[in-house]
Amino acid sequence: MTVAAGIGYALLALGPSLSLFVSVISKKPFLILTVLSSTLLWLTSLIVLSGVWRVFLPLKSTSWWPYGLLIFTSIAFQEGLRVLFWKVYKRLEDLLDNFADKVSKPRLFQTDKMQIALAGGLGHGVAHAVFFCLSLLTPAFGPATFFVDRCSQIPFFLVSAIIALAFVTIHTFSMVIAFNGYAEGNKVDQVFVPVVHLVAGMVTLVNFASGGCIIGIPLLYFIASLTLIHCGKMVWRRLTENRSRQGN
Amino acid sequence: MAQNTKPTSILDSLGEEIIRIIAPVSICMFMVVILVSVLDSSSSSSTSASVNSIATIAYAETNSDSSWDKFVGALLNSLVFVAVVTVVTFILVLLFYLRCTKFLKLYMGFSAFVVLGFMGGEIALFLIEDFSIPVDCITFVVALFNFAVVGVLAVFMSKMAILVTQAYLVVIGMLVAYWFTQLPEWTTWVLLVAMALYDLAAVLLPVGPLRLLVELAISRDEDIPALVYEARPVTCNGSGAEGRVAQRRVWRDRGSENSDHESNNNPNANSVFVENVDSGSNSTSNASVVPDSSTESNTLVSGHNDATLVRAEEGWVPERDAELSAPLIDPRMNIQPQQSELEGIGLGSSGAIKLGLGDFIFYSVLVGRAAMYDFMTVYACYLAIIAGLGITLALLALYQKALPALPVSIALGVLFYVLTRFLLEAFVVECSLNLLMF
Repeated sequence: MTVAAGIGYALLALGPSLSLFVSVISKKPFLILTVLSSTLLWLTSLIVLSGVWRVFLPLKSTSWWPYGLLIFTSIAFQEGLRVLFWKVYKRLEDLLDNFADKVSKPRLFQTDKMQIALAGGLGHGVAHAVFFCLSLLTPAFGPATFFVDRCSQIPFFLVSAIIALAFVTIHTFSMVIAFNGYAEGNKVDQVFVPVVHLVAGMVTLVNFASGGCIIGIPLLYFIASLTLIHCGKMVWRRLTENRSRQGN
Repeated sequence: MAQNTKPTSILDSLGEEIIRIIAPVSICMFMVVILVSVLDSSSSSSTSASVNSIATIAYAETNSDSSWDKFVGALLNSLVFVAVVTVVTFILVLLFYLRCTKFLKLYMGFSAFVVLGFMGGEIALFLIEDFSIPVDCITFVVALFNFAVVGVLAVFMSKMAILVTQAYLVVIGMLVAYWFTQLPEWTTWVLLVAMALYDLAAVLLPVGPLRLLVELAISRDEDIPALVYEARPVTCNGSGAEGRVAQRRVWRDRGSENSDHESNNNPNANSVFVENVDSGSNSTSNASVVPDSSTESNTLVSGHNDATLVRAEEGWVPERDAELSAPLIDPRMNIQPQQSELEGIGLGSSGAIKLGLGDFIFYSVLVGRAAMYDFMTVYACYLAIIAGLGITLALLALYQKALPALPVSIALGVLFYVLTRFLLEAFVVECSLNLLMF
């Protein structure tokens, strides 16, 4: 309903990412490039998945298990790509360190590495928000709105924007956790990320039931805040032990 | 805090040149998408019949033809277009060879005026009509005239702030791209692919007109007259304006023994951009050659051919003499053995990356045409084009010679458009409407 509502929905999904972008990422050009590449990677994974699943669509809308399978395979594929992303990042880190040595500047700091991970995660999150929420928002700029049967209390655009916000948070910060887990060899972190992603995906299946979004969305936000807290604790721990190490 | 006293990390400035070229490309694409979505919502698709130009001379697409007919018609249109582009490029090479630079310069200024004045005026009229902006004729004409004249001065004479020149170049690219999106759908797509192939051939084949142009320019150590967007070079180590000018002089020392990595990147930047410029200039030139009632066409022709006299005026002339003794060594010889890929892209040097206006235009045409279908295709094509641009810049660093900027981006863009339209959209809509996301 009108341009104001359309912009409102877009900002609801992408507002925090926009502020993250402006405050942290836009200052360093390399991070902008990282965001763009990880967005492209996520889009490619989505296209591959849709290519695989296209023949089965449209799925029967009565039973929930085909959708469960769809989500499970998609998440498994994307988590596999995350490992690939990590390997590419490792090689890039070596390249950057060599370059830093050549121009006689210090090697990558801990905060630099975390910022790159954050940028990667933000790319994934923004890609999710753009393709699952923003690209469907075009009718919202017009004079009317749209309601889905299963969640008929609030407009569809609002629901998808809210869900997109939760997923943006999950994607952004789980990348930081994952990279840190791979770097430290921390098994807990390494397992935490795929599990959280899978649980979040499965929780959206709850929306399948009529009126299910009343339960599904708060659960999703619980998972998102869990990710946020875990990431915060981990970053705090890394930075303080880094600082104490330098103090010695 | 201890952090403030640490030396700056490499992450602070790495990749800045690439961002400085991606930003204006993105702005141009964004503006074209906005224009297309705002203006097209009012007009119907049958207006495609009203666009008469060289690009539709062979076949005018109507909604009732079959897909195969449309495809064949579009193919004919594109072949005619590419043929005209080739002829005009060869004429340009001839004129450049005969040293008619003044004529080319004047022609370019004239075209810039007509593009900004007439095309800009037409689009402004559409906008005024759509939004019912109250403005009277005289104010409008005066404002438009001033706008066009300042634009001509900005691209024609370089004494303006660089931001103004860059802004006007982006505006010119946007106006021409919007005009191109008015072509019928099949014609647009086949034309994009045809221009990408033409660009590839014209730059890499030894008989290609653009390659001849580059070699002529290198042998004479002159700038090619064409419209080109120049991203400001990154100042390194606090060197001020003199440093910048000196570095750009280094750029013109093709084959000089100044084997800083700057000189390595700059000749290439020169070539890369050259290619793009000319492909762009020709394409637009052709559009105009049409014996058409609309004067817009004429604008386009001259538009791109004039260019960088801008840089000549910036005070480089005194330094030109220093380069007369530069031997004509293949820039490849200057590559330092340990030059990493990162330095080659221009990350370590302060060479300015230049991109021809034709590339701006065709990227924006692709995205604008994607916008006419849906916004999902816009996002996908945007990412694909930026990826293609990044790959082209990386290849430039690797091969150190003139490269066309259109093929990779257009190929990726068309691929992603097709994949998104036929595969991704159904998948995402299905998942979203059931509120299932991952």
